[in-house]
Amino acid sequence: MGTFDVGGSQLDTSWFLLLGAILFAMGTAGVLVRRNPLIILICIELMLNAVNLTLIAFSRQLENLEGQLFALMTMTVAAAEAVVGLAILVDIFRVRDVEDVDDLSELRG
Amino acid sequence: MAAAVFFVAALLAIAGGIGVISFRQPIRSVLSLVVVMLALSVLFLLLSAQFIFVVQIIVYAGAVMVLFLFVITLLGPARETGGGRLRFQAGLSALFVIALLGLIYAMFQGVHFRQPEQADLSVFGTVQSIAVGLFTSYLYPFELTSILLLIAAIGAVYLSRRDES
Repeated sequence: MGTFDVGGSQLDTSWFLLLGAILFAMGTAGVLVRRNPLIILICIELMLNAVNLTLIAFSRQLENLEGQLFALMTMTVAAAEAVVGLAILVDIFRVRDVEDVDDLSELRG
Repeated sequence: MAAAVFFVAALLAIAGGIGVISFRQPIRSVLSLVVVMLALSVLFLLLSAQFIFVVQIIVYAGAVMVLFLFVITLLGPARETGGGRLRFQAGLSALFVIALLGLIYAMFQGVHFRQPEQADLSVFGTVQSIAVGLFTSYLYPFELTSILLLIAAIGAVYLSRRDES
């Protein structure tokens, strides 16, 4: 595995990748387990942050700036997703009180 | 020294992540996510991504999280009550997540990095170098991003207006 130099001491890239994987798995667990639609959105943000960490770790290891540019794009998409998701949630909550994502299953047919 | 900074930030991030998925009140989850984002911003600085570090703090931990907090205060503190209708949901989810983590870890074992590109590390990740990349080879994606943000803004305004009829 690759290492890189920070202020004279060596850091291992695989540490960053492993941390990104753990945070991503935590976000997945939250999306699967939690019942509140708001918290599910928060967990998606957590997963996107984990992906950003992985992208930037690879970018540093390969000394290629494109990973950071992609992380910037991910942040933009995450912001757009949060805005639209929260707007939809506010709209739903205005009509009725939803405590559980299972309350929103009318479209099932 | 750098390793110590990494481990402190990583522990903080993992603790925050556990907080995000285990607190019952949404407001505590959001504040835990702010902890995760600040810890990750320290890691970005270690990875010499100065610009992303600033953006992470200002845009993410600042703007996006404040948006979440506003929505939570708007909707009231909805506590989560009881389990879902699906039995075994927690157990199945744990199984799936462990399998996912194992899969990712197994993938890491086969990673062989190619030779670094010998970039000039004194300017790596600064505003200037990011801007050069963004406005030359990634100009089209960058412009498309602005359209995406415009669509999101219009969509949010449309969804949250009051029905006049």
